Amino acid sequence: MLQCIFLLSDSGEVMLEKQLTGHRVDRSICDWFWDHVISQGDSFKSQPVIASPTHYLFQVVREGITFLACTQVEMPPLMGIEFLCRVSDVLSDYLGGLNEDVIKDNFVIVYELLDEMIDNGFPLTTEPNILREMIAPPNIVSKVLSVVTGNSSNVSDTLPGATGSCIPWRAADPKYANNEVYVDLVEEMDAVINRDGALVKCEVYGEVRVNSHLSGLPDLTLSFANPSILDDVRFHPCVRFRPWESHQILSFVPPDGEFKLMSYRVKKLKSTPIYVKPQLSSDAGKCRVNVLVGIRNDHGKTIDSITLQFQLPPCILSADLTSNTGTVNILGNKTCSWSIGRIPKDKTPSLSGTLVLESELERLHVFPTFRVGFKIMGVALSGLQIDKLDLKTAPSRLYKGFRALTRAGEFEVRS
Amino acid sequence: MAPPAQSQRSQSPSQPSGKSEVSDLKLQLRQLAGSRAPGVDDSKRELFKKVISYMTIGIDVSSLFGEMVMCSATSDIVLKKMCYLYVGNYAKVNPDLALLTINFLQRDCHDEDPMIRGLALRSLCSLRVANLVEYLVGPLGSGLKDSNSYVRTVAVVGVLKLYHISASTCVDADFPSTLKHLMLNDPDTQIVANCLSALEEIWSAEASTSEEAAREREALISKPFIYYLLNRIKEFSEWAQCLVLELVTKYVPSDSSEIFDIMNLLEDRLQHANGAVVLATVKVFLQLTLSMTDVHQQVYERIKAPLLTLVSSGSPEQSYAVLSHLHLLVMRAPYVFSSDYKHFYCQYNEPSYVKRLKLEMLTAVANESNTYEIVTELCEYAANVDIPIARESIRAVGKIALQQYDVNAIVDRLLQFLEMEKDYVTAEALVLVKDLLRKYPQWSHDCIAVVGNISSKNVQEPKAKAALIWMLGEYSQDMQDAPYILESLVENWDEEHSAEVRLHLLTAVMKCFFKRPPETQSALGAALAAGIGDFHQDVHDRALFYYRILRYNVSVAERVVNPPKQAVSVFADTQSSEIKDRIFDEFNSLSVLYQKSSYMFTDKEHRGPLEFADELGNLSIGEAAHNVISSQRVEENDKDLLLTTAEKEETRGSSNNGSVYAVPYDSSTSVFASQTQIESAISNPTTAGHSQHASFGIDDLLGLGMPAVPDVASPPQLKLNTKAALDPNAFQQKWRQLPVALSQELSLSPQAVASLTVPQALLRHMQSHSIHCIASGGQSPNFKFFFFAQKYEEPSNYLVECIINTTSAKAQVKIKADDQRTSQAFSSLFELALSKFGTP
Repeated sequence: MLQCIFLLSDSGEVMLEKQLTGHRVDRSICDWFWDHVISQGDSFKSQPVIASPTHYLFQVVREGITFLACTQVEMPPLMGIEFLCRVSDVLSDYLGGLNEDVIKDNFVIVYELLDEMIDNGFPLTTEPNILREMIAPPNIVSKVLSVVTGNSSNVSDTLPGATGSCIPWRAADPKYANNEVYVDLVEEMDAVINRDGALVKCEVYGEVRVNSHLSGLPDLTLSFANPSILDDVRFHPCVRFRPWESHQILSFVPPDGEFKLMSYRVKKLKSTPIYVKPQLSSDAGKCRVNVLVGIRNDHGKTIDSITLQFQLPPCILSADLTSNTGTVNILGNKTCSWSIGRIPKDKTPSLSGTLVLESELERLHVFPTFRVGFKIMGVALSGLQIDKLDLKTAPSRLYKGFRALTRAGEFEVRS
Repeated sequence: MAPPAQSQRSQSPSQPSGKSEVSDLKLQLRQLAGSRAPGVDDSKRELFKKVISYMTIGIDVSSLFGEMVMCSATSDIVLKKMCYLYVGNYAKVNPDLALLTINFLQRDCHDEDPMIRGLALRSLCSLRVANLVEYLVGPLGSGLKDSNSYVRTVAVVGVLKLYHISASTCVDADFPSTLKHLMLNDPDTQIVANCLSALEEIWSAEASTSEEAAREREALISKPFIYYLLNRIKEFSEWAQCLVLELVTKYVPSDSSEIFDIMNLLEDRLQHANGAVVLATVKVFLQLTLSMTDVHQQVYERIKAPLLTLVSSGSPEQSYAVLSHLHLLVMRAPYVFSSDYKHFYCQYNEPSYVKRLKLEMLTAVANESNTYEIVTELCEYAANVDIPIARESIRAVGKIALQQYDVNAIVDRLLQFLEMEKDYVTAEALVLVKDLLRKYPQWSHDCIAVVGNISSKNVQEPKAKAALIWMLGEYSQDMQDAPYILESLVENWDEEHSAEVRLHLLTAVMKCFFKRPPETQSALGAALAAGIGDFHQDVHDRALFYYRILRYNVSVAERVVNPPKQAVSVFADTQSSEIKDRIFDEFNSLSVLYQKSSYMFTDKEHRGPLEFADELGNLSIGEAAHNVISSQRVEENDKDLLLTTAEKEETRGSSNNGSVYAVPYDSSTSVFASQTQIESAISNPTTAGHSQHASFGIDDLLGLGMPAVPDVASPPQLKLNTKAALDPNAFQQKWRQLPVALSQELSLSPQAVASLTVPQALLRHMQSHSIHCIASGGQSPNFKFFFFAQKYEEPSNYLVECIINTTSAKAQVKIKADDQRTSQAFSSLFELALSKFGTP
């Protein structure tokens, strides 16, 4: 079980310490940890679970904040990691983002949250809805409210009733004048295109996000037109398993507010919405670069915020790159970033120029990988379609909204 | 109010600057303490915040204890929370002051707001001051009966905290049985889960002294209770589900239909959004089906998709943890994953620890059908910007080549690497080509043609250089320039810093000499002279050895240095299958991430559930508990001793099993002493005394080269559990899984033979030595027995198959053990027990 949690700033300063068991963990462990991180060069590269001479440490880094948990006993590793991830999610949800200042300003809330999330080293409640009932978030609304009502406490008066209810994710009986439920399909396309231009791997990771504001205990069913394309699914605890198993229908009583209903994967897609064709040819200490980007399949929707990024190999002395559309920037860490935006109708965006190699090199041997970003509103590239959303005992006024969005995930083109 | 000495206790470096501010705060708090003015809570809150932020950054504010407690008489819950936090942090170092807080915390425990009741109870139990335990019992007792579930949840955890402060108080108040009642009857699943985790810990700790606790602990994994939990599993919170699932892995179902029932019930847990739940479920599935081979395979198929999704959907940290587990499964059953190889392709942005695991998995899943794609992908990584990964991927290509039958395409690619003109790529590829040639000598022709073009000047890394030199020596008949390249290398002897390369160079020149004597003779002379003059002991010794064996008889030398070679069929695996199995048993634990079994990296006291042994020892509460712990310690020390001697033997053994040429370091000293003489002898070989010297030297060398017999320490104490229990199914399962640790033939005394008329006679005898029989059979003169024994206070089993023939008075004994390293000790126990059989 976890014995202690530390929050460290990006300079290694201990911002917060929460001892969880009688087995006190000395703060010096953070010094050891920080030395270790520095010796590894980049905290991104050091493993999430490391063994110090005295403790086993779990670390999760989010927005420069290191969440560090210590234990001395054998335990399921994912329990530690998953819990830290939840802590960071809940904190960033509560504080509207994560950074050193916001944590220092609100450390009392952080302590309060940790107090409810974990007791004696064992995780208790990480469900944001329930936590919200116990500890009100420090948002503007509640500040305004507290001024108006004169109740300056940021602990709500209601009790954590949901912990006792049989639907732990739902607060008891919210009331809404306008009953609304929104369903978003958010997909990320991961693709790898190899040196020969062949599509090595192309799959979509998708999430069904629901934002529900429904009175009472609504019982929803959501069905898809083509559920057979889904390869592997994971559900929010509210989804009943049997209806899905027999008829691929999602039947659930939703938590109040925003949540991730399910995530899925669709494998073995055949094509990508855009193509990227890099060409590199080196000769006599110089390397000519030419990259073309264009639309491959017209989905009828505009492709937005197209970007292309690549790391220049360390053996390159200087680079001179220009494009006919968008802007090209070479950042300090030798990352070249080309933001295209939308593809114009009349021309194909291209990036071209030369790279000057180190003096003793004739040809380039290390080839950059191009990472592509894009966003398409209104379409789920996996082809998944929502058939219908039904509500048992529908209230008189119910608004249902559906949206879809596809983004590039790990979309890489090797040269 | 606080004694002034307190303020000097601080060790904090920032204390000097904080000191005046702390006394300032103290003054302000004191002013506010008695005030009832409106808005006083807000100013208190600001002050408390300041105090806690000082506390957080490490300034010692313990001197404010009194004032903080005085100010905490308020109805404001945030103030209370901050005060609880403060008190919890400092009570332990200021036990006298903690008494102050008890009063107000006890009062809060009766507050009408359940939230405050719960918080106060939690803080009260978190004070962890030994002399205050008497004040805990009352509030805890009423907390457990509270009508609000939040308070009960807190109280249950509080009982566990109390147990760790003072076990006897907790047991005397009969809390465990109250918890048991709650666990079986409370409607709130969070309370059930907390009771479960508390009772598991309490009963495990008590089990060694109290039979009742041991019985209760057993009852936790009984069928009715497990079913009670499983039927409600969906109501538990995700973390509590992990706890329940962990418990289910310990349950042994009675038959296969039960196994299927459990798996059906838990199947949807594989779809859970929380990765920890998924992994815990996977563990249950794997453990349940261990003895059912077919179903076990189906389980692999079933768990594959959820695990792969976890990998691709989580944060890098999560996917690392899942990948480590997947890695374990892939290593056990590569064929199951061979069609999913694309999941293990590396993404550019992934941290290198993830990439490294993926490369290993790609290597493992490669088979006839996917090798081409995998190798193509790996070759792309060779041009990766991340050089360590580029190297790893080349090595992976080599490993795949070594495990495949059809290596055609792979060899071509490896040879392409050699032409890439990237020093590290060439280096890695050279090492691989060498290994490849050792396994597939038929490829020598193609490889040598390419290797011959590599200039040795471009190869700097010792391993690669050694590989190149090895090939030059081995295939010198096919490589036109080999003698001359070697000669130029010998000329630069002094610039070669790696002893490994120099050793290889010596051997290569020797080999070359036997194949192309006229061209190599001068190089050989130069190499031997340089080698004998080398400051490195191994190089010196090897050169000397070659020199002498050449002088003794050239054809013998050729047989020694250049014997006909057989292709290596399988390269030794770095990780033994035993360790892999052990890690598999510890699925869903840190062991998997470290790729080591937990006994290899955790301290012994941390292997079980949390042991607060040292704290208890310091507080010296409860004489009984104290004694138990110390006796446990003694035993663990024994065990430690046992492990270390065994390990020492192991390491010595392996150092002696090294290369045939390598002379053990142990022998170096005396040779060194006579080195100058030998050298002078070599410089004028006609000296009469030389041969004498030399032969003496060689004898000496050989004599010392014999493996040093490790001093066998007195046989370590191994204590066996007199009441060991193992059911036949578990025995069978284990017997199938474990490798034979020891196999030997023992002689029986005539009295023993005389007494062994029926199997039962031996059974009773062995039982008195804590070795139990699980099955026996046969008739005179042939008997067969299966015995088992269990290590005292540890679930480590020894299984024995013993076949006795009374006419020859011999017993064939095969021993298998969970802990292989103690099998020797157990074997001697067994032998001792057997030898006493028949004696009155």
